[in-house]
Amino acid sequence: MDSNIIIKLNNVNFYYGNNRALTDISMTFRKNKVTALIGPSGCGKSTLLRLLNRMNDLIDGTRVEGEILFEEKNIYDPEIDPVEIRKKVGMVFQKPNPFPKTIYNNIAYGPKLASNNTGDINTLVEQSLKQAVLWDEVKDILNQSAMKLSGGQQQRLCIARALAMKPDILLMDEPTSALDPISTAKIEELIEELKKNYTIIIVTHNMQQAARISDETAFFYLGNLVEYNKTEKIFTNPDVKHTEDYITGRFG
Amino acid sequence: MMRWRYLKQSAFFALVRASALIITLTLGGIILYILMHGYSVISWEFITKPPTDSMTQGGIMPAILGTIYLTLGAIAIGLPLGVASAIYLTEYAIQGRMIRLIRVGINCLAGVPSVVFGLFGLAFFVIIFKFGSSILAGSLTLGFLILPTIIGASEEALKSVPQTFREASLALGVSKWQTTYRIVLPNALPGILTGSILGIGRAAGETAPIMFTAAAFFTSKLPSSIFDEVMALPYHIYVLATAGTNIEATRPIQYGTVLVLVAVVLGINLVAILIRGYMRRNKRW
Amino acid sequence: MTRHIKEIIIKYVFFSFALVSIVVLGMIVFSLFREGVPIFKVVSLKDFLFGTEWYPTFDPPLFGIFTLIVGSLIVTIFATLLAVPLGVMTAIYISEIAPRAIKEILKSIIEMLAGLPSVVLGFFGMVVVAPWLQNTFDLPTGLNIVNASMILALMAVPTISSISEDALYAVPHEFKEASYALGATRFETIAKVIVPAALSGITTAVMLGMARAIGETMVVLMVAGGAAAIPESIFDSVRPMPASIAAEMGETPYRSAHYHALFATGMVLFFLTLAFNLIADYVSHKFKQTGSATP
Repeated sequence: MDSNIIIKLNNVNFYYGNNRALTDISMTFRKNKVTALIGPSGCGKSTLLRLLNRMNDLIDGTRVEGEILFEEKNIYDPEIDPVEIRKKVGMVFQKPNPFPKTIYNNIAYGPKLASNNTGDINTLVEQSLKQAVLWDEVKDILNQSAMKLSGGQQQRLCIARALAMKPDILLMDEPTSALDPISTAKIEELIEELKKNYTIIIVTHNMQQAARISDETAFFYLGNLVEYNKTEKIFTNPDVKHTEDYITGRFG
Repeated sequence: MMRWRYLKQSAFFALVRASALIITLTLGGIILYILMHGYSVISWEFITKPPTDSMTQGGIMPAILGTIYLTLGAIAIGLPLGVASAIYLTEYAIQGRMIRLIRVGINCLAGVPSVVFGLFGLAFFVIIFKFGSSILAGSLTLGFLILPTIIGASEEALKSVPQTFREASLALGVSKWQTTYRIVLPNALPGILTGSILGIGRAAGETAPIMFTAAAFFTSKLPSSIFDEVMALPYHIYVLATAGTNIEATRPIQYGTVLVLVAVVLGINLVAILIRGYMRRNKRW
Repeated sequence: MTRHIKEIIIKYVFFSFALVSIVVLGMIVFSLFREGVPIFKVVSLKDFLFGTEWYPTFDPPLFGIFTLIVGSLIVTIFATLLAVPLGVMTAIYISEIAPRAIKEILKSIIEMLAGLPSVVLGFFGMVVVAPWLQNTFDLPTGLNIVNASMILALMAVPTISSISEDALYAVPHEFKEASYALGATRFETIAKVIVPAALSGITTAVMLGMARAIGETMVVLMVAGGAAAIPESIFDSVRPMPASIAAEMGETPYRSAHYHALFATGMVLFFLTLAFNLIADYVSHKFKQTGSATP
């Protein structure tokens, strides 16, 4: 496998009960790049994202076919513990979802429970918050409840919380859709910064956002991967008419 | 035409208000009546002294103590079982026949008449397990009696913890059990507490389940182990109000005991209601 | 991998706890059968259920519980007749009409009523309702069907009211708005839209309220009067099944015919309430309320 490739999907089908949500998806994600998944609601882009850290396991009656290789191993192999996968593949959700704990404990929660952790937690908390560009705003109120932060701060806290696990990949499921424009801009800047060290896969409804921050873009429609290419190419000269119609706002 | 329609509405509203009023007044009347008749009987001696003169004089201390023992025993059995069941049903179970069966089972258990619980306790704990009529047998019977109440309240409390908390924790690579233990349970705790308080109130007021399994008409000594019989407030009321020739002579003691029982049970319920109201107002998510 | 195994073990531990309720239900059935079935060596099932003479301490004893079953059914039916209008009306008031503050207070009051120990209500029936009935209607005793039914209704009201209220509350707001938008009054909306939409929930509530009434022991033990005979008027005394079991079990020699007969009566009572509960469960699942149309 090409050393630049971190995840590879081979002929993946996904079902909710008898409904097929993803059809025969084969694609690769490249290391230290930002990949955007776009498409209209219900096209399967969020479902695909949640396949990558096995979050779909939590929904009853779902089924996966095909293989998803991460570090050359199929993460749906029965031998694989989903908990191990999720340590390496972090996730940030649509709505900020901090725990009703202090800011400090939100960050420390994951590392404290991870059995292989040995480092100093205080340093890790500071490091993670700095990476998420939140440290200066919260360094004096680490023992306050995270619920008191603003929406944008909460989302950056959630990013810091995910980073504290030192993952290889960060999955982001419409991370700015619940935020105001200023907070959104901050998060976008942050993503730009983070891709130096992490592979980021982001689902977004916002075309401009995809164009601004991603290196590659995949367009999904009705559970199919329609087009996947460099972001520049997708947004300037897509190969498929369908993609163009969506990007220019003719449907969606 | 329109006037007629509004007239009908007014009549209906009056009827509906009257129903609510009847219930309120009845409850108020009962409590007031008990308060007025029991008030003069209550004294420090009444609460701290055992009965004397074939129960026509003295206090009800052994019955209060017995009810406390039985209730604590019941909660010690019902709470862990109930919370564990609820955790399985809300956190682990995958919908299917088995879960449906368990739910029907819980509903049926909730509907078993209290006197049948008494028979079950008698046949199983008193006779087959040879515990005799004892605190242990009574506590087990009451513990299973309040199990559905505690399961129901705990399930509701667990369900009210937002799914996003679970997802956030699991996405960090934290295991299911750690997520349940560190995130879900602490956030559900106030609700679970309310449920168990209601369970305590229920257990403290039940009579039929302990009649054949734990309660004694009169004990000269206080219980020294869980294999001893005890007096209990509800049974004391029943016995004094119905048995023997001294019914009129013990009337004041009956009123006093009823007042103590009602105060205990409604006090417990009130605490639960207040905790819940407080929680709703201070919801953190 | 070890943690994976630990997680699986934890799951099964919780599963086994969840089974406890079913196991206890099984133990209840087992104990009723084990101690109850031997009576059928002495008396046939038909004579037991339909025999009208309950003289368990005579020589030879007679074990016909028909009068006890009739007693249970009569007080339950009268209690239901009283409790259903009262409970459902109150639920409508709470869920549709009452201002917010009154709503909360009323809900607490219903909960307090549910929390009153049955022995206290029985005591109240004995010392207040019975003398009043006796004097007002000039009766030989105030411990009778009317008294027991009134007190039982009081015990069934909280069950009926709170479950009905949940059902009413669950009716989608869109239904109400649609009705108001068509020019219906609040009463018309309640009567023609909301109550019909909540009917399965209200039926469930009534069934559970009846189950509560038929299985209630202390009230019928203390205020029904205890006469094991077919009543001829609503002012006659009856001896419902729970009363008979509770009153006689204490004085019965272990494993005597009388003892077995009381357990067999417990079986009948158990299956009667089970039937009510299963019907309630069936109704609430079969006719599950549908929400607003899915987007």
